Amino acid sequence: MNQHVTHVELHAPDDGIAPGAELLRVDDVSLSFGGVKAISDVSFNINKGEIRAIIGPNGAGKTSMLNVINGFYHPQIGTITFRGEVRRRMRPHVAASSGISRTFQNVALFKGMSTLDNIMSGRSLKMNKNFFWQMLYFGPAREEEIEHRHKVEEIIDFLEIAHIRRTPVGKLPYGLQKRVELGRALALEPDLLLLDEPMAGMNLEEKEDMSRFIIEVNQQFGTTIALIEHDMGVVMDLADRVVVLDYGKKIADGSPQEVQANQNVIDAYLGVPH
Amino acid sequence: MQELLHQIFVAPFTLIYELPDLFIQTIWEGFVAGVLYSLIALGFVLIFKASGVFNFAQGIMVVFAALAMVGLHEMGVPAWLSLILAIAIMWALAWGIERVVLRKLVNQPDAILLMATIGLTLLLKGVGETVFGGEPKSMIHTELGLPTGVTDWNAFGGLVSFQHIDVAAVVIAVLMVIGLGIFFSKTRIGRALRAVADDHQAALSVGISLNQIWVIVWFAAGVVALVTGIMWGARSEVSFALEIIALKALAVLILGGFTSIPGAIVGGLIIGIGEKVFEVYWGSIFGGGVEAWFAYVLALIFLLFRPQGLFGEKIIERV
Repeated sequence: MNQHVTHVELHAPDDGIAPGAELLRVDDVSLSFGGVKAISDVSFNINKGEIRAIIGPNGAGKTSMLNVINGFYHPQIGTITFRGEVRRRMRPHVAASSGISRTFQNVALFKGMSTLDNIMSGRSLKMNKNFFWQMLYFGPAREEEIEHRHKVEEIIDFLEIAHIRRTPVGKLPYGLQKRVELGRALALEPDLLLLDEPMAGMNLEEKEDMSRFIIEVNQQFGTTIALIEHDMGVVMDLADRVVVLDYGKKIADGSPQEVQANQNVIDAYLGVPH
Repeated sequence: MQELLHQIFVAPFTLIYELPDLFIQTIWEGFVAGVLYSLIALGFVLIFKASGVFNFAQGIMVVFAALAMVGLHEMGVPAWLSLILAIAIMWALAWGIERVVLRKLVNQPDAILLMATIGLTLLLKGVGETVFGGEPKSMIHTELGLPTGVTDWNAFGGLVSFQHIDVAAVVIAVLMVIGLGIFFSKTRIGRALRAVADDHQAALSVGISLNQIWVIVWFAAGVVALVTGIMWGARSEVSFALEIIALKALAVLILGGFTSIPGAIVGGLIIGIGEKVFEVYWGSIFGGGVEAWFAYVLALIFLLFRPQGLFGEKIIERV
C-alpha cells in the first residue's frame, strides 16, 4: 500500500510565494459575541511551508481564531492578509477557493455518505462542468467525475483508508473519522491547512499515525499547516513555531523551546493568583 | 352493538372475498392517488433536508406550476413550449426565492422561515389568480401527448379498469424518482446537496455554495410540483382547490418522516391506499366521506406513538 505514497501528485498550488515567506497574517484582530470578548487584539503570521501551532488553555480563543481565518466569523476589528491580499472579512467560500481548507474539533463529516463520497465532496470546487451536464450525468460531467476519482483514490491510499472506502462514515470509529476528515481537507489541495485538534480523543497509536500524516503532508506536498493541539508533546515535536493564546490575548509567540520557557505560558497553564 | 361489530369485522371482508375485482380496483385507485401524495411530500422533503425550511408553499407551487402551464397555453402558446416555459418559470421562482427570501433570512429561527413560506403561499396565489385567472381550467395533457382512454382487465369474474393517464402518472413518477436518485448519488451537485443536508458548516468549508444549492433544490422541488400538478390536473382540473389535497402531504410527512425520501414515498402510498380502502369498506359506518380525514387521523396516531415517522431520524436534543 505504501508504494503508492511516493506517486502521490497532490501539491499545494504554486502561488509564487517562496518557502519561508509570509503566507498569511492576522493584524490586530478582535472578535466579540455581544459582550463576550473571544479574541482581543491578536496579531501573528504564518509562513509558507511551516507548521504553526496555536495553543492555549480551554476558552482561549483558538477555534475562534481558525474560524476568523476561514471566514466563519467576521472580526469587528483587524484584518486578514492572505497571499498579500488584505481582507477585512474572509468568506468561507472564498477561503476554500483560494486554498484554505480545514478540519473541525468535533469531526464534521457528512455522516450519511461513504468515505469516498466525503472525500469527493472536497473536490467540489475543482469540478465545474455545469448543471446541465450534471443533470444528464453524461459526457463531460462523467469524464470529470472519473478524473477526480483518481485524485481521491491517491488520497485514500496515502491515508491508508482503502479498506473503509465504501463504509458510511457514521459507522467508523472516531480515529478513522478524523482521518477521513483530513482526507476531505486534503482533497482541496490546499495551500494552507487548518487542523482543529486533529488528535483529540485519540490513543497513542492513532496519534502517532496522525502525526506522521501531518508531517508527510507538510514535507511532501509543501502544504502550510496551522494546528490547534492540546497534547504538548505532539506540539513540541511537530511545530516550527507556536503562538499561545490565553483569554483571547496573545501571550507568547516563538519556537517551541522559547514558548515552553516563557513565564506567561507557564502561568497560564498552571494558573497563578491574579 | 352486534351489528356494529359485524360491520367492522365481518362485512368488509366478505365483500372483499365476494368481489375481488372491486378490491383490486380500490387498491389501484388508492395507489395512483398515493403516488401523487408521495410526489408532493417529496418536494417538501427535498427542501427540508437541504435548507431546514419547512416549505408551506409546496402545495401552492403544485397549483401555480400547473396553472402557469395551462394559462400560457390558453394565451396561444403551443403545449410543449408552455411546458418548457413553465419549467423556466419554476427556475426563476427558485432563483427569486433564494435571492429575496432565503438569503435575507439565513440563520433566522425556523418559525420565521416557515412564516416566510406562508407569505410566499399568499403571493403565489395572488400572482397566479391575477395573471392566469382564478377559475378552474382543464389540463392540457392530451396536447402534451399523454395517453387517454381506459383498458379493462377481465379478472375474478369482474372488470378492473385502468385509466391510461393513471398508468402514465405512475410510470412518470417512478422515472422521476429514479432520475432524482441517480442525480443525488452520482453527480457533484447531488453530492453537494447531501453534504449541505448533513452539515452546513462542513459543506461551507469545502467551498460548497449554499446559495447555489438552495436554488437547485427549490428548482427540483418546483419541477416535482409541476409534474404533480399536471397529473392531478389531468385527473380533475387545475384549480386552487388542489391546494387542499397538497395539505395531505403533511400527513404523509408525519408518517414517513420529514427527512426521508423513501419515507415520503412509502407514507404517500400508505395514505393513498389506506384512505381508499377505508372509504370503500368501512366508510359507511361513519356515513361516508372518510377520505377527507383518514390521513390526518392516521397521522395523529403516528404522532402519539412514533413522532419521528417510519423512516425519519430520531431527533435527540440536548437540553
